[in-house]
Amino acid sequence: MANLLSQIFYKNIDFEGQRVTEKTTHYALIIISILSFLTGLALQSLQTTFFFFGASVLVLTLVIVPPWPAYNTHPVKWLPRKGTKKSE
Amino acid sequence: MSSCLMAMLAAIALSSFLFTADPKGQLVISNFKVADAKVNSRSQEVGLARFNLTADLTSLFHWNTKQLFIYVTAEYNNSDGTHNEVVIWDRIVLRKEDALVDVVVPPKYPLRDMRYSFKKSSPVRFALKYNLMPYVGALTYGEAARTEPEPFPPKVGKL
Repeated sequence: MANLLSQIFYKNIDFEGQRVTEKTTHYALIIISILSFLTGLALQSLQTTFFFFGASVLVLTLVIVPPWPAYNTHPVKWLPRKGTKKSE
Repeated sequence: MSSCLMAMLAAIALSSFLFTADPKGQLVISNFKVADAKVNSRSQEVGLARFNLTADLTSLFHWNTKQLFIYVTAEYNNSDGTHNEVVIWDRIVLRKEDALVDVVVPPKYPLRDMRYSFKKSSPVRFALKYNLMPYVGALTYGEAARTEPEPFPPKVGKL
């Protein structure tokens, strides 16, 4: 079981993927806060606000945290090998 | 994320200012008497007020209202000339349904003075006030009912 989980989670994402996840969390959190505040205000319930916020953050975690293959679509382009030894 | 939560809490606290309810009610003193009593082994004059109270304070309950503290005060100037405001009855209201107050109350807290006597005190008036306690934000106060000033009645004797 632990082996399976580590196979799923212990994978890196490329730099473009990291940039995308960072931007996503930044903007998503702002939007989630505004939406949950407005929902609660409209329904006059603080409980609604915080449940909405918590649920949305949970969904956001599922989108951001696991190394989805979508975050690995821009692998680093390494330069070709130049040769193992420089000839003297 | 914690910054988002803090910003939301601040917004919730500020939203309290959007809700400006000013409910009014009716406070009728049915019986107010002054008697001699021994409080903390000291003989002094004590005022006891019995009253009827009707008020609809449900408009004060919005999403940021945690509870209402409602209280009846007796206001007068005593023989020294100092203005006094004494709470003679109070109640904590936790739910919107309970904010519809319609009670006939016996005295809860006796009215006592620093000078131990109400001789030469100014006429007393009673007021129903409330204190709104939010989940997040500033406490707000208000007044829902007032009576006309009436002079302290003559002493009825020992309690």
